[in-house]
Amino acid sequence: MRSPFAYVSRPGPLQAASPAAAVAFLGALVAVAFLYSSPLVLVAAGAAVALAGRLAGAWAAVRAAIRLGLAIALPIVVVNALVVNRGETVLARLGDWPLLGQVDVTAEALADGAVFGLRAIVVMIAFAVYSACVDPDRVLRALRPLAGRSALTATLVSRLVPVAAADAARLRDAARLRGPAAAAVGRAPLARRLLAGSLDRAVDVAATLELRGYSLESRRAPRPPSVREKTRHSSSLRRRRSRYDRRFYLAGALVLAGAIAGKLLGADGFHAYPTIRLGLEPTTIALSALLVLSGLTPYRRKPRRQPAASSRSTGRRRPNGGRLRPAGPVVRPSPPRGPGAAPARRAPGTAVLETPRV
Amino acid sequence: MSRSRGTAVATALLCAALAAAGCGLGPGAGIDGVELTVTREFGAAPMLERSLEANESDTVMRALEGAAAISTRYGGGYVQSIEGVEGGQRDGRPFDWFFYVDGVESPIGAADYALQGGERIWWDYRDWAATNHVPAVVGSWPAPFVGGYEGRRHPVTVECEGGGEACARVRQELESAGVSIAGDSPPGAIRVLVGPWARLRGDPVAALVEAGPQESGVFADFERGRSGYELVGLVAGGEAVRHLGPGAGLVAATRRYDGPPVWVVTGGTAAAVRAAAGLLGAAKLRHHYAVASEDGKETPLPVVGPARAAAVRGRR
Repeated sequence: MRSPFAYVSRPGPLQAASPAAAVAFLGALVAVAFLYSSPLVLVAAGAAVALAGRLAGAWAAVRAAIRLGLAIALPIVVVNALVVNRGETVLARLGDWPLLGQVDVTAEALADGAVFGLRAIVVMIAFAVYSACVDPDRVLRALRPLAGRSALTATLVSRLVPVAAADAARLRDAARLRGPAAAAVGRAPLARRLLAGSLDRAVDVAATLELRGYSLESRRAPRPPSVREKTRHSSSLRRRRSRYDRRFYLAGALVLAGAIAGKLLGADGFHAYPTIRLGLEPTTIALSALLVLSGLTPYRRKPRRQPAASSRSTGRRRPNGGRLRPAGPVVRPSPPRGPGAAPARRAPGTAVLETPRV
Repeated sequence: MSRSRGTAVATALLCAALAAAGCGLGPGAGIDGVELTVTREFGAAPMLERSLEANESDTVMRALEGAAAISTRYGGGYVQSIEGVEGGQRDGRPFDWFFYVDGVESPIGAADYALQGGERIWWDYRDWAATNHVPAVVGSWPAPFVGGYEGRRHPVTVECEGGGEACARVRQELESAGVSIAGDSPPGAIRVLVGPWARLRGDPVAALVEAGPQESGVFADFERGRSGYELVGLVAGGEAVRHLGPGAGLVAATRRYDGPPVWVVTGGTAAAVRAAAGLLGAAKLRHHYAVASEDGKETPLPVVGPARAAAVRGRR
């Protein structure tokens, strides 16, 4: 069973974009969430990241993040209402509490807590979309020259966490499959078994890393690359760039510029204390609209259906490198028919199913 | 059926317990109004003075928040700025907002200080290089004699230590303000000590004045001269800068630990004590931490030094 936050390779602009471009876009929306307190702007930023996630095919991650965010936001609201005694609109007087003193629940403290909770939800959705859409390998590859060991650790974590989630799902399935008469298995025994399995796996991984020489201190100095290698390197660099990068950089820059300009023009007109004041200035509305529109950045027009004759050249690539079945009829390669047999004929407008490259 | 009845009984009991504990919905019933004063520089520069209506659930913080634009820190419990005047360093000296309720420094935060009705709340923005602890002030007269302090009424006694005519004057001023003076000295009474400093300095609480503002919160000192004790005025930094002379009287308030406030009406001589007694009254004490009489005029303490005088002029 796969975690909803686990990266899944999909043919979308956000997945195809370089990690830096994706981080610039999502980071700009997170920055807006931290810069602003206006609920309207926060809702718009949340809608933008959710829309981006939806267009990128990470709706499951968005939904899971919203659920998790709500679970975090609710305690924030409750704690803020109990701890903060400010605000003029007293809704309930809860008397004197140990440590907290006089506790009055005010509408302002609730609203302030809700803004904190909303901010947490926006940030969680953004991180969920990032986690589900940005290839961790590419991120780590980009970070490797800066911090090799940290990159290796992060690689292992990003690999082992989904494996542990899958282990947990398998253990739960196994417990259920014992039948209705079996005693219920508590969470603690499951967690213990999961921890033991994770530690075993960690020992295996450590042994493997050692065998592969990761524990060695220094390596040989790299020889100067040949012209051929240089050419290959530059072509691989070209492959890392995506035609969508510019779009995400531009969207991130627009969002950030709009947020800073809005801040200077007074678009963040929300004050919780002493009474709730929600400013709905034109700048606030304009910024909110800009944010929601920025959520369309990962949009990709659906490819038009090509005529069957040219399907071989336009067949969609599978993540593992194979091609999907083209639209036209398929002729499977004929079995060997002996050395003297005539070559098999292929009808016009047909394609051969290619074996996926591993 | 019995289960739902049990739930209903439990709910009713819970509601009754909450009601008995003072819980309820909404802001609660109205109480007597409160007076709010906001000043700067030890009361020298008034910023705001207002009478406010109050409810059962109101606190000092809520009263301030409803009357002035403020910003807070530490989860809303600490007032950082009022009307844009922000705490921090100024000319290398620490400045912050302090508040007094009925002339007594509060031992708890403004957000936790529940109002009972009728309080005099005084917020002051001041230099606290010399001390951040001024336990009692005289500027909320006739509080704490009328209405008590920290939510409770306290008896008031006048202890005449050789004050002579001044004692009678003090009694008269208190009674005209509506204070009933106790005959003896019951425990927990607010004491007013009247007499020359040579006599009063034997009282353990009054003697704090000689220990400096760090101990007493009073920016004044007495120095022994040829003709007895002479009053010396201190500036906000705690330095003695002005000898007010043997004829100068002093009205100040202090407090030791959690004990009741003690007011001193004193001076170097009997004439000085009489002059000090003449200072009692809202007109001369209002918005001052302590007051000295000098040649028939009142001089607020701490004494205004050149730097503070410029600051006060600038803020007015």
